[in-house]
Amino acid sequence: METEISRMDNATIFDLKGRLDSRTAPQFEKQVQDFLHSPDCHLVLNFNELDYISSAGLRIILNTAKAYKSSPYCFVTCCMQDHVQEVFEISGFDSFITIYQNLDDSLEQLRASS
Amino acid sequence: MDIFFQIRNDCSELTTIHAVLAKLKKRWNLTRRIISEMNLILDELVSNIIEHGNCDREIEITIRLIKKDNSITIILTDTGPPFDPTITPIPDISLPLEERTCGGLGIHLVRKFSNSCSYKRTGKKNILTLKKLLPEENR
Repeated sequence: METEISRMDNATIFDLKGRLDSRTAPQFEKQVQDFLHSPDCHLVLNFNELDYISSAGLRIILNTAKAYKSSPYCFVTCCMQDHVQEVFEISGFDSFITIYQNLDDSLEQLRASS
Repeated sequence: MDIFFQIRNDCSELTTIHAVLAKLKKRWNLTRRIISEMNLILDELVSNIIEHGNCDREIEITIRLIKKDNSITIILTDTGPPFDPTITPIPDISLPLEERTCGGLGIHLVRKFSNSCSYKRTGKKNILTLKKLLPEENR
């Protein structure tokens, strides 16, 4: 899996590409860890080019959501492919994680909320 | 139609599973969705075997896939410690974020994406048999 990290306005954006499974999860967890200790801006995970996610990936997403819940900033996701979104829904993650259709929508909402 | 392959208890083998399924997609004329769901089933089960087995010991994992009429049967055999995924507790996915943990989520996905699942321990082997019904466009 490849990750590209960028900053736009008041948000950090992670562009995820490839497959997030138990083989690639440790590397992603390491990258996201730095943003979880004391969040200083919003976080967007852009799933546009993420082809696949397993429970190993969901575990990191859950920890990310928990870390942001206790911070003044928001954590949102966007651009999920259908089968990735289905895995989120079956796991009940869609009840506490906001999923936007596209990146612009998510950035607009984050601008409005801060 | 059936295929059979063997892997080791190492995370790098998830790539092998993905590669085998990618070939199968064409050969068995399956949709991307079915391949993706089968990949998730095998990924979660094999990751469990790797996690619960002793890392120092090599565990033999064999996967057999059989396509027949309107279903695919997955038979997963491993020489790891006894583990019956059909009796693990079901996670409560309605809990609020603060109370959620990831325990059991992998097996929950396996159950959701398969139509039946049975386990037996024979000698030193775990044998798990899953059945997945195919929607019409895959038959």
